[in-house]
Amino acid sequence: MTGISKQFGVVRALEDANLEITRGSILGLVGQNGAGKSTIIKVLAGIVKPDSGTIVINGQTVGTLTPASVEKLGVHFIHQDRLLVPTATVGEAVFLGHELGAGPFVNRRAMERRAADLLKRFFDMELPAGTLVKDLTTAQQKVVQITRALAQKASVLVLDEPTAALVKREVDSLFAVLRRLRDDGIAVVFISHYMQEIEQLCDRVTVMRNGTDVGTVDPRDTSIDKIISMMIARDVGEMFPKRSVSIGTPVLEVSKLRLGGSFKDISFDVRSGEIVGLTGLLGSGAKEIVQCLFGLEKADGGSIMVEGRQLSLSSPVHAVRDGIAMLPEDRRAHGVALGLTVRENISLASLDRYSRGGFVSRDTENQAVDGLIKELSIKTPTRDALVRELSGGNQQKVAIAKWLSCQSRVYVLDEPTVAVDVGAKVEIYNLLNRLAGEGAAVLMLSSDLLELVGICDRVLVVYRGELAGTFSGPDMNSDMLLAASSGARSIAAGVAA
Amino acid sequence: MSVSTSDNARQTLRAFLAKYSILLAFGAIVVFFATASPTFLTPTNLFNVLVNNVVMLAIVALGLTIVISSGGIDLSVGVSIDMASMIFVMLLAAGYSGFVGVGGGLAAALVVGALNAILITRLKISPFLATLGVLFIGQSTQQLATSGGQPIYLTSGYAGDQFNAIARTALLGIPTPVIVLILCAIAVYLLLHRSVFGRYVQAMGAQPGVAWHSGIRVPRELSLVYVGCALLAGITGILLSATVKSYVPLSGNAFLLDAIGATFIGTTLSRERKPTVAGTLLGVLLLAVVKNGLLLIGWNFYWQQVGIGLLVFLVLAASFGLRRASH
Repeated sequence: MTGISKQFGVVRALEDANLEITRGSILGLVGQNGAGKSTIIKVLAGIVKPDSGTIVINGQTVGTLTPASVEKLGVHFIHQDRLLVPTATVGEAVFLGHELGAGPFVNRRAMERRAADLLKRFFDMELPAGTLVKDLTTAQQKVVQITRALAQKASVLVLDEPTAALVKREVDSLFAVLRRLRDDGIAVVFISHYMQEIEQLCDRVTVMRNGTDVGTVDPRDTSIDKIISMMIARDVGEMFPKRSVSIGTPVLEVSKLRLGGSFKDISFDVRSGEIVGLTGLLGSGAKEIVQCLFGLEKADGGSIMVEGRQLSLSSPVHAVRDGIAMLPEDRRAHGVALGLTVRENISLASLDRYSRGGFVSRDTENQAVDGLIKELSIKTPTRDALVRELSGGNQQKVAIAKWLSCQSRVYVLDEPTVAVDVGAKVEIYNLLNRLAGEGAAVLMLSSDLLELVGICDRVLVVYRGELAGTFSGPDMNSDMLLAASSGARSIAAGVAA
Repeated sequence: MSVSTSDNARQTLRAFLAKYSILLAFGAIVVFFATASPTFLTPTNLFNVLVNNVVMLAIVALGLTIVISSGGIDLSVGVSIDMASMIFVMLLAAGYSGFVGVGGGLAAALVVGALNAILITRLKISPFLATLGVLFIGQSTQQLATSGGQPIYLTSGYAGDQFNAIARTALLGIPTPVIVLILCAIAVYLLLHRSVFGRYVQAMGAQPGVAWHSGIRVPRELSLVYVGCALLAGITGILLSATVKSYVPLSGNAFLLDAIGATFIGTTLSRERKPTVAGTLLGVLLLAVVKNGLLLIGWNFYWQQVGIGLLVFLVLAASFGLRRASH
């Protein structure tokens, strides 16, 4: 792929980007969110049409790609979100679109048998016949997806963050499979945020930044730090603005919190003026902790206190009343209502402030909303524009403005910078700094370890439902966080004890 | 230069047509019937249209406007109408005063609304299925209570006479039912477009997850939505009984589809295609005028339905087409 460019509205997603994929080799593709990794992959998959550039497969220049024509060329994609029909059986899922059978009739039994053979051969995995996709674990679903590609005799296999939901053992067996496929002559493209995995697995790494490829290196003789510095356009200091705030008394105090099989014995506090990070792999319980703090899940035990007051959080209604703000990960489903105006979104959680006798006073509301639009420099034509018309970063700012309007004391943020571009990220970091500067307590759940290192005063790492470590100070780095979230630290601690 | 100006003008015109398509359609239809039928514009006919075709449908449609704004639907408005009508007529027939009759009738409608609210917010049944179930149960209940669907008539001497008189007279030149409608419309306008409750309703309709994550008491607000809708339907039920001096089982359902249709026609007036009080009232007027006009120019009942179907289709198609062109 050479000279690929793509523009979405005013955003340049790809600019003169190149990608070379060779047989019998595993290529790592790294870059920050928004660097253009997924866009270039979508171009290859025929989902996104490039504005310019050429794609050559096996020496032949290909014109317009469609998902079907790409698959015919032997290029298969394992996307991050599971794209399997949940009610299909494993056999049906493996042969979806290429059903075995005669004429219009599908031979389901043959598909089940062949799928079972393939699973056994490649993954040494045995599932009861007729198992439904929705009853599989996330890791098993990933395996079924890869099996589907193998069943279609893939010559190029592209995996987008395939290990995000897997545990160590599953990752190891996945890597073994990928190495075997490479040795069989298949070209593998491996997209991951986990530098250690890239180092372990890949023969070459292409680094993307701001929509273009900034270099391809051999990970075995290039340090992780070097690769990361290639990924980050500006130096880390500028990306993560620093601040000097005096840290005060605890605002949020959590002690011995537990929830069923998700987590137990979680105790920590967040002080006024402090930004505390929280991280953990999928299924570690970190997400559930955040949900308990906003009343989305009801904890089975333990206590949550805000400014010394014991809270009973059984729903977000209580959380909001008690001064807790939540920036949810799924912005479109939970953060902002796209079909409402900027004004309606911003005042939604604090209408009591702008109303008298149950009726909204438009003057007071307009004044407050205009103030917040200006303060956060939200780019919107008017306060009455629909949030749908704003960019992702500005939508996120509207979601934050909603809580500023509430004057919340505790801000719980769930992956606040997912799917916003780098520029907007820095603005959001500045905003978090300002919140903390004004004495709020900020707790931020994120899987972007560099971001946590850059912006947090302290980072809590959750591993298998327990706090596996607390990191702070200038020595803190993303490797430590990664080690702790994948269990290395707690194993070491266990040995030491 | 001149090209771009005329393009601009054309675009503005298209946007104008798209926004006011329903108003223009209404005007065109009035002009058409006024020329086609000499009786259309007579005061007697207009009074008839207003009192018989508009008022009751409009009050039901106002209730549905709230429900549809919240992202739901209420298929059981007919049951609320019938229950209010049945209890009202039964109480009057048993010799109770008008106040007791109205109170009892409205209370019966509230019970229907509360049942919907419980099914939807407590048992988490989708509004469509919950209100459909209530519709079935409500219809059977009426048949069981009236030995298979026998109407109950208010004979002379009962308080019903007074109600019938009120329904047929006018206050300051305005027919009493129209006054009831105006009061209901003002109340719903204030609730939906000016109050905090209205904001919550709009938020639940736009994105229920966002409403919940903003600390809104979604179950409570939704309960109020369905209870309010049932209350408005109950008012219609009482007006209906007072007008026809009887309770006819299963007569409320006739309002359902027209009320839903009027509300959705009304959404073409708003930029975000949201239901509004003004839009709903215009939608009701449009339907009522077309029905009455087609009757006057001699179309029979079955052809009227065809005419209304075509009209709804034309208004919506024109509005969507113009809007797409103006973007």
